[in-house]
Amino acid sequence: MRSKGRSRFIVLCVAPAAILFFLFMVMPTFNVFRMSLFERGAYSPTETFVGLNNFKVLLKDAKFITSMQNTILLIVTVTIITFFFAIVFAAILTREKIKGQNFFRVVFYIPNILSIVVIAGIFSAVYKPENGMLNSIFSMFAGREVMVLWKDQPMVIVSIIIAMVWQAIGYYMVMYMASMAAVPMDLYESAGLDGAGRLKQFFQITLPLIWTNIRTTLTFFIISTINMAFLFVKAMVAKGTSDVALSFMYNQKDAGLYGYSMAAGVVIFLFSFLLSALVNKVTARDVLEM
Amino acid sequence: MKKILSLLLASAMSLSLLAGCGGAPAPAQSNNPPAGGSSSQGGSSSADPAATASPIKVAALSSGYETAYPGMWQEVCDAFTAETGIEVQLTLEKNLEDVIGPSMQGGDYPDVVLLATGREKGLTEQFIKDKLMTDITDVLSMTIPGESATVSGKMIPGFVGTNATNPYGDGKTYLAPMFYSPCGLFYNAGLFEEKGWTVPTTWDEMWELGDKAAAEDIALFTYPTTGYFDAFFYALMYSVGGPDFFNQATSYAEGVWDTAEGQQCFDIVAKLAEYTAKVTPAQANESDFSQNQQLILDNKALFMPNGTWIVGEMADAPRADGFAWGMTALPAAQVGGAGASYAFLEQIWIPSGAANVDAAKQFVAYMYSDAAADIFLKGGAVQPINGIVEKLDGDNVMFYSIYDTGANAVVGIFSAYESVAGLGTVREVFFDPVNGLVSGNVTKDQWVADIKAASDQMRENLV
Repeated sequence: MRSKGRSRFIVLCVAPAAILFFLFMVMPTFNVFRMSLFERGAYSPTETFVGLNNFKVLLKDAKFITSMQNTILLIVTVTIITFFFAIVFAAILTREKIKGQNFFRVVFYIPNILSIVVIAGIFSAVYKPENGMLNSIFSMFAGREVMVLWKDQPMVIVSIIIAMVWQAIGYYMVMYMASMAAVPMDLYESAGLDGAGRLKQFFQITLPLIWTNIRTTLTFFIISTINMAFLFVKAMVAKGTSDVALSFMYNQKDAGLYGYSMAAGVVIFLFSFLLSALVNKVTARDVLEM
Repeated sequence: MKKILSLLLASAMSLSLLAGCGGAPAPAQSNNPPAGGSSSQGGSSSADPAATASPIKVAALSSGYETAYPGMWQEVCDAFTAETGIEVQLTLEKNLEDVIGPSMQGGDYPDVVLLATGREKGLTEQFIKDKLMTDITDVLSMTIPGESATVSGKMIPGFVGTNATNPYGDGKTYLAPMFYSPCGLFYNAGLFEEKGWTVPTTWDEMWELGDKAAAEDIALFTYPTTGYFDAFFYALMYSVGGPDFFNQATSYAEGVWDTAEGQQCFDIVAKLAEYTAKVTPAQANESDFSQNQQLILDNKALFMPNGTWIVGEMADAPRADGFAWGMTALPAAQVGGAGASYAFLEQIWIPSGAANVDAAKQFVAYMYSDAAADIFLKGGAVQPINGIVEKLDGDNVMFYSIYDTGANAVVGIFSAYESVAGLGTVREVFFDPVNGLVSGNVTKDQWVADIKAASDQMRENLV
């Protein structure tokens, strides 16, 4: 009797979330898959079944291939650079005695709470060709006027990478600082007595002990990069200069190809799913207990 | 005790979840605050037998005109209600597509929409392609509410009949011309006076001026974003080839880009790209385009394609001493030829899903009344109504007189074609590559070849 009441209670507790998840996550996702087999305008009541034709055209669409290439390039470079700096900075801020540690922590974290519009505004001042921050600094060192067109080809993708790294570093740094703070000090002390230097301690103690954390954040990061890349490209640079997968999808929708954009959505969905699975597999290690 | 606590917590959690999902539709409702106000007065309108039962829903783009005179649209809607007794629910948004788009997908259509073709989200084009608009040909012969004249009697001839208003070329009007604004090349008249330069009337004079200006480190040309090339290119096609070529080109006639006129259009754009300020493509995006416009104010570039709204848009920007706005039509293709200026047109239309079509048609007809036109004029919005040019003041007098000084008025747009996967929009095919032409990573031949290939596909899929 008691256990029956208990399971009813559990069902009641879980039901709202489960229903909402089904209505607002599972159903739309299912619909995306279904609509990718049809062709229709966003507002037209009629739809025609075209089978896998949308996918056939998609895989031959040069624009889609370029935008996927841009997405992959951004995922790879931004992830590597962000994680490198986030881990290094976190290690420095937790392990070394530096004046104004908290100040740095706040400064690094701030970009993460800024809206994308504000970030676009900041980088529009940084990348401005004439009297912009970056060009002014380069001009000062070069002793002549340097005019790098940051948001034009071929530098445009570099500009986006810099902005994305700048935005993401703080958040992940704070995460790693938290897990590094949980590493017991006596491990470092005994390692120090055994003659391990700071670098060796980092690779032998810190990194293995926060590895679970790195793995989890890596999966988050890859998925969020697909989204963030779209927002950055949309807010910062001219359409068509460095389109990413999601901007391609939205462009097709605006052009009146709803089914086609859904097909792009399906490919992106599967791509991010597989990539996360792959990363999870590749980074699997035996979990070390502290 | 513990159980009660956990029950409370659980119900709080599920409530907050529900509240979270309830939040989504809320903004759609808060976007039309007048709705509550006007529907509460709805009871009074039932006394008037002429009034329809439900208020009509009007969705309008909140553009620079609304910024110049806040409350413009509400005032017009109130005047309409006072005249006809039909209540109006106004939705006024800068990102109108994002607001009405989702609710239209859910089957909730406004009765009247003011949204032009040529916008980035292309909502109006999608309605044209899918034939989701109401035929409003009969509105033209309707008597304007509160006046004795008919709509077509007051409208300046030439604005109705192009594919901007009759998209299917069958003589039926689906979009009414609402606001128009001459587009042309904007420049600093003060600088021309100071240097003793004259505004070029042919493209050859233009290139000469470009060389002269280059000697003083001033670029001949810049553009805010590639989107501004549509008005430019329409005018260019008209000035190079006249109305026949224009009509052929905008309907993607076979071989039209291989004609001498077609080639000349491409030559001019490609040459202009060489004379364009080098920083332009790096700033031709949503967050930096005003820096390109600033090049004109700072005397770093001579001309840019733009519309009359630029004066208000850059009103607070710093500028060179002696700066004065000047606007010219596009130069003529040959000596003795006429220049051309595109009339950028914003259209008003009725979705076929509208619930109150008759009342909506009255609303569209009322737009051409003197009362409405005067209110719109306060925001600087000019409608194609006979005699409106005499009512203008300030810079607008000079801008709107452009057609009186010999320039051809160009109206019309590229014909709508069925969306085909892999085939880009007109802007993507024709204009976006101009950035590449300027920075040198797209060659002219490549650009032209892409246009020809796309143009063939567009012709095959005309609606």
